[in-house]
Amino acid sequence: MKIFRHLTTTLVLYGAIVAACVFLAVLAAEFTLSVFADIVFSGWMLVTVQIARWFVLWVGVYAIHNVLPIAIAHGRTRREFLGAATGFSVVFALAMALLAWLGFLVEGGVYDLMDWRSHPYGSVLAYFLMFLVWCGVGMLLAAAFGRWGYGAALVLPFGLALAVVPGITMPGTGDLPFIRNAPTLLGDGWHLVSLGAWAVAMVATWAIARDLPVRVRST
Amino acid sequence: MRVDVQGLTVRYGSVTAVDDMSFSLSGNKIYGLLGRNGSGKTSLMSALAGYRRPIGSVQLDGEPVFENAAAMRQVCLVRHAADAADKGDKVAHVLEYGAAWRDTWDNPYALELTELFKIPLKKKVGELSLGQRSALGVVIGLASRSPLTMLDESHLGMDTPTRYAFYDALLSDFMAHPRTIIISTHLIEELASLLEELVIIDSGRLVLQEEADVLRSRGTEITGNAADVDEFTAGLTVLSEKSLGRTKSAMVFGQLDDSGLVRARQLGLELGPIALQDLFVHLTEPVGGKR
Repeated sequence: MKIFRHLTTTLVLYGAIVAACVFLAVLAAEFTLSVFADIVFSGWMLVTVQIARWFVLWVGVYAIHNVLPIAIAHGRTRREFLGAATGFSVVFALAMALLAWLGFLVEGGVYDLMDWRSHPYGSVLAYFLMFLVWCGVGMLLAAAFGRWGYGAALVLPFGLALAVVPGITMPGTGDLPFIRNAPTLLGDGWHLVSLGAWAVAMVATWAIARDLPVRVRST
Repeated sequence: MRVDVQGLTVRYGSVTAVDDMSFSLSGNKIYGLLGRNGSGKTSLMSALAGYRRPIGSVQLDGEPVFENAAAMRQVCLVRHAADAADKGDKVAHVLEYGAAWRDTWDNPYALELTELFKIPLKKKVGELSLGQRSALGVVIGLASRSPLTMLDESHLGMDTPTRYAFYDALLSDFMAHPRTIIISTHLIEELASLLEELVIIDSGRLVLQEEADVLRSRGTEITGNAADVDEFTAGLTVLSEKSLGRTKSAMVFGQLDDSGLVRARQLGLELGPIALQDLFVHLTEPVGGKR
């Protein structure tokens, strides 16, 4: 519980600060752009689907690469940490999805006020699942590289395959357009596939990280 | 805390860092883990701390350590710089980790030590000097109050006054809170008075495990007339010799029996102890290109 609390309080707060700063920067960019051209798309959507998921992936990497060795050095087991990290990935993804949604709410108000146009964006559930999978894939890749070094490059295609799953139905991602038919047929059932991708990422992370050595690092 | 190592092997690819090592430490002592560079000290300590899955058996008070929550709670290993710190974290946050995650953590003592070693709490770990980072490692190790505390060359980079402050802090804390402390060091003579038992390893294998005083008694420095010293040392294991004019000094390994002591007195030779460091060098010296 201590590890979960630490991860959640520090990284959710950090994520919220980053999101707030980026949101203000996006608004500023939109106002600047409106001087020269018509605004016809949501800048916040661009950020949330294209940049935010990379940030969430980095958080997953950070948790395993940086915090796990510290937890072990303070007498915690990998099993304890991975349990906490799994719970953290859910809370963090949810927090980031809510922040994304909050951003759309505020940005929508501004767009209405300024009479700007925008495209439809993904649901909170779709964002939650996308962040959840990307956080899990970040943890998986960090565990793989930590354990096997450059040999973990073989895991990259596997991680990529998992990462594209939740983005397929997300407006604005443009992930693998050639298999768009499958998600359409499944409808909201595709969210279950996304959930499955996260589960696979976490199971693989557990399997790899349970034997992860703590290497000597230069600080 | 008792430590039992049985058939421990640590490999990195084709390199064997620890090779089928077995020994036991009865506990509640300050142990010196001595070995040359690359002898396997850090790998051995990493296995003792559960930092890597061991091939063989590592048990603390009869419990396997790797991924055993109860055993892991009892261990703290500080290698070179602090493992328990991220370079982006402020020192104050590093201490907060300890307070939050370690049941045995003594935060007032940690703050006392940071003041003693003059480590600024608001600075990031990555901005500290090498000596300060080493001192932070020592703070984490000592303040953890772990029943098994291991310091792997933790005083590397500390200046002499800081090292002496560390030795004093270590001894007084050990007296107040006896536990099993293992220190690896190359500054053998500086720490010699603190070490109760020595474990000497070389090329991943155990060379010797001995009480420090017993080991000291195994070496003798003989000084006197060169011809008398030569006569006396004939047939003994001579580690090194020095001559100045007609006076000669020789270091021999192996306990002298009563007849030897009588003969030395008859020849007017002076007998004295050998520094642990000299014995260590001898015990790990390459012979015929191999150790």
